[in-house]
Amino acid sequence: MKILVAVKQVAALDEDFEIRSDGRAIDPEFLVRDLNEWDDFSLEEAVKIKEAAGGSVEVLAVSVGPEEVDESLRKCLAKGADRAVRIWDPAVEGSDPVAIARILAAVTRREAPDLLFAGVQSSDQAFAATGIATAGLLGWPHAAVVSKLSFAPGAKTALFRRELEGGLLHEVEIQVPAVLTIQAGINTPRYASLRSIKQAAAKPIELFGLADLGLTAADVGEAGSLSRIRRIYVPEKGRAQLIEGSAAEQARRLAAIIREFQGAAV
Amino acid sequence: MNDSGAVTRILFEAFPAAEVRAFYLLGYSAIAVFFYGVYVQIRKYRRGAALALDGHVWGRLWDMASTVLSHRTIGRRDQSAGGAHRLIFYGFALLFLGTATITLQVDILEPLFGIRFWQGEFYLVFSLVLDIAGVALIAGLAYMMYRRGWLKLPKLDYARPDRAPGDPDFDRPQYRREDWAFLWILLVIGVTGFLLEAARLVWLQERPDVWDTRWWSPIGALIASGLRGAGFSATGAGLLRHGLWWFHGLIALALIALIPFTKVKHIFTAAGSLMVRDPLAAQRLARIPDSQKEPGVAKITDFTWKQLLNLDACTKCGRCHEACPARAVGAPLSPRDVILSLREFANATLQSGVLPDAAELDVHGKAPGQVAMETLWSCRTCMACVEICPVAVEHIPIIVQMRRKLVEDGAMDPLLQKTLQTIHKTGNSFGESKRKRGAWTKGLPVPVKDARKEPVDVLWFVGDYASFDPRNQKVSQTFAALLHEAGVDFGILYDGESNAGNDVRRVGEEGLYEVLATSNIAAMAGAQFNSVVTTDPHSYNTIRNEYPDFGGKVEIEHYTTLLKRLFDAGRLKVTQPIQRRVTFHDPCHLGRFNKGYDAPRDLLALLGCELVEMGRCKSNSFCCGAGGGRIWTPDPVGSEKPAQNRIREAAAIPGLEVYVVSCPKDLTMFEDALKTTGNEGKFVVKELIELIREAAPAAREPEITA
Repeated sequence: MKILVAVKQVAALDEDFEIRSDGRAIDPEFLVRDLNEWDDFSLEEAVKIKEAAGGSVEVLAVSVGPEEVDESLRKCLAKGADRAVRIWDPAVEGSDPVAIARILAAVTRREAPDLLFAGVQSSDQAFAATGIATAGLLGWPHAAVVSKLSFAPGAKTALFRRELEGGLLHEVEIQVPAVLTIQAGINTPRYASLRSIKQAAAKPIELFGLADLGLTAADVGEAGSLSRIRRIYVPEKGRAQLIEGSAAEQARRLAAIIREFQGAAV
Repeated sequence: MNDSGAVTRILFEAFPAAEVRAFYLLGYSAIAVFFYGVYVQIRKYRRGAALALDGHVWGRLWDMASTVLSHRTIGRRDQSAGGAHRLIFYGFALLFLGTATITLQVDILEPLFGIRFWQGEFYLVFSLVLDIAGVALIAGLAYMMYRRGWLKLPKLDYARPDRAPGDPDFDRPQYRREDWAFLWILLVIGVTGFLLEAARLVWLQERPDVWDTRWWSPIGALIASGLRGAGFSATGAGLLRHGLWWFHGLIALALIALIPFTKVKHIFTAAGSLMVRDPLAAQRLARIPDSQKEPGVAKITDFTWKQLLNLDACTKCGRCHEACPARAVGAPLSPRDVILSLREFANATLQSGVLPDAAELDVHGKAPGQVAMETLWSCRTCMACVEICPVAVEHIPIIVQMRRKLVEDGAMDPLLQKTLQTIHKTGNSFGESKRKRGAWTKGLPVPVKDARKEPVDVLWFVGDYASFDPRNQKVSQTFAALLHEAGVDFGILYDGESNAGNDVRRVGEEGLYEVLATSNIAAMAGAQFNSVVTTDPHSYNTIRNEYPDFGGKVEIEHYTTLLKRLFDAGRLKVTQPIQRRVTFHDPCHLGRFNKGYDAPRDLLALLGCELVEMGRCKSNSFCCGAGGGRIWTPDPVGSEKPAQNRIREAAAIPGLEVYVVSCPKDLTMFEDALKTTGNEGKFVVKELIELIREAAPAAREPEITA
């Protein structure tokens, strides 16, 4: 019994960032990296299933990215993942969610897990596509935004709940193997003490290249993608001002501004 | 003076040989039970983890002996209890010495070497001394009984803040029974001793060597007169003496046998605890040895033997219970009860011949004897308990060791967990970018040197709050201006500096502390400077006391001593004295932790302030509630916060104008508490640096823009 958890190391903006010279990404020097918030929950969900089963479940954390991603994978190992796999090749640079899904699907075929968990979305790109695209490539049943899950290892189906608009809930039974994207808040992710992270550094992180997965450079990167980012930019700031003073002063000023606008419109 | 061998202590006179034999048999049995008990206790301690003490045995012995003999620690904040204990201690010690020397003569020196010294003048003087000792003992006991029975001191109430009425270990009436039994037994021994002495005198009134020297035992002689007045004949007194002799002897032997099993053992455990005292117990926490797989304390046997001894040293005097700021505001923590709980646990599990299974040794939880995580997380690590404990119980290392286990299990407030992750990610608790650490210097007229790039005389370790908190940034700017005007060549580490880790360590996140400490030590090693200054007492404590364990030994001082020197040297001058009524709050980490009581007060005097102390000041200063990582965990809504309790104390000072602090966290905590207690407008909270700026304004106003 195996659960594969796809995780991503996301980037958060530091103060006073700059955009890369090609205008298509943030200069990496201004990024602070961390494990994607949603992936914390999906990993915790997998580890909880493992702990409830008492040993017969293997949790495998998988990520696509360069060496610095090892830091996030180590956090996964510290929190209870049994193995960690990282896939990288310089050709992967520029991949969209579908190209990443192609890599994840290849790893999934190779590892043959009973469940594949992914976060609903990543906090930096927010495509919310990678998990479901992987299911599409695998031809597996899938469900997005899972907010409660019950699954006993060995069972043929998993039962889960999804949140719908308007406060409605879906209760769904799904055949395994399946892909589920996990919503934040499904559980309380455990704290990985620095000590446990350090100890996890002793565990190996398995590194796969494209050839290990039967892929070629044409399957990934911009060549393997269905979309590409043209540019990243900060929109021009709108005009807003805070009116200070007493209520009467504020009202007078507001009226003046309105008159100004009306005057400008006339 | 009578010097004949006839004048001596009457011992077994008129006892049939069988009774003497019976007494010896009982005596040896009592001693055997005593030693068995000692063995059981030592076996209990040895079931704790190993701990190597530094040598200095003689120094430790001297410290212990002088503390015990002077009663220095017992009288603190309770002079009358200290005085009464002194009477009991010296009374009991002399009486014990008297009995012991009689044994020395009768059972050892006389049968073996024929030496007798309990006679003549020596005996008479000694009997006088022992009568005085007996009076002292009884007087001390009488006061203690009065204190327990009538004074109803809250610190002697054993009701626990971390248990509810109805819980099996809520107020522990067995403790009260033991306390009273101890007092009564000692009192009965003392009183029957005098009665026995009197009965003996009446019984042997015909013997001049006894009767004519009776006033050398004045109390006995006085009672003897009473007995004679009441019509006791020599024969009647003889019978009374015989009965009393056995009664007195049996109770005394029972007491000896019971020492290791009752609170009486504090005679030994308190002395032992004082001997193994760590003067930096709270200031410098222990590292986790590389050989230790699981951090912290999960099982009772994870405590060191010294900590198990600490548990047994506690006499339930309640001084820590009274001093604890968490307890004072109704948090579910009393340092006393943490110790007593663990002691009950240790006694229940470690005194039997066979060690129970590991599962039964878990000290975390809510069952009797266990300590709940809410209790452990209530601690501010302010050191009030450790500082006042008369018998050197070291509560804080015990609490932090237990927290280390909680941290490993993730059993903590989600906000605290978030803060620790933030500190790991950004190096500060504000979640701000590392780059912004030095941003507060931007508004200064003169740029602050980057100590990583050029040598400086003084390296300023700024710390998180002084770097990122907007209110404290103003203080930092002011301090920079003062240093600049005094001509101090100083610099900071900018984004090379991280949170110093003092509070992270006290939370129990040792792994993160190691990361922070080694990072700061490396940053300091990369800079050239002669000494370090900081405005943050928390950073001050850990850099001063804990970084050396990680290879980072620097000269560091709190800003108060540096500014004091600058004033003394005339490099700063008071030109506009502040004639205001102020009070000063000693920060835990400056005062209790590092004894920095004087410099802030000297500075206030230099400024011309009228300092009115609060009742709880200096070593008894009352924590603002922010220590031990509590600044990152919200206090429960609706209950009083320690800072509010403190501000109310200050508000009682008539005409108070300024509440002076010298710690960034204090500024935050107390400005908040000033508002929430409705005291805003009555007085103000100010950093000492701000008062200094007012009293010593810049010659020409430098432009400081926020």
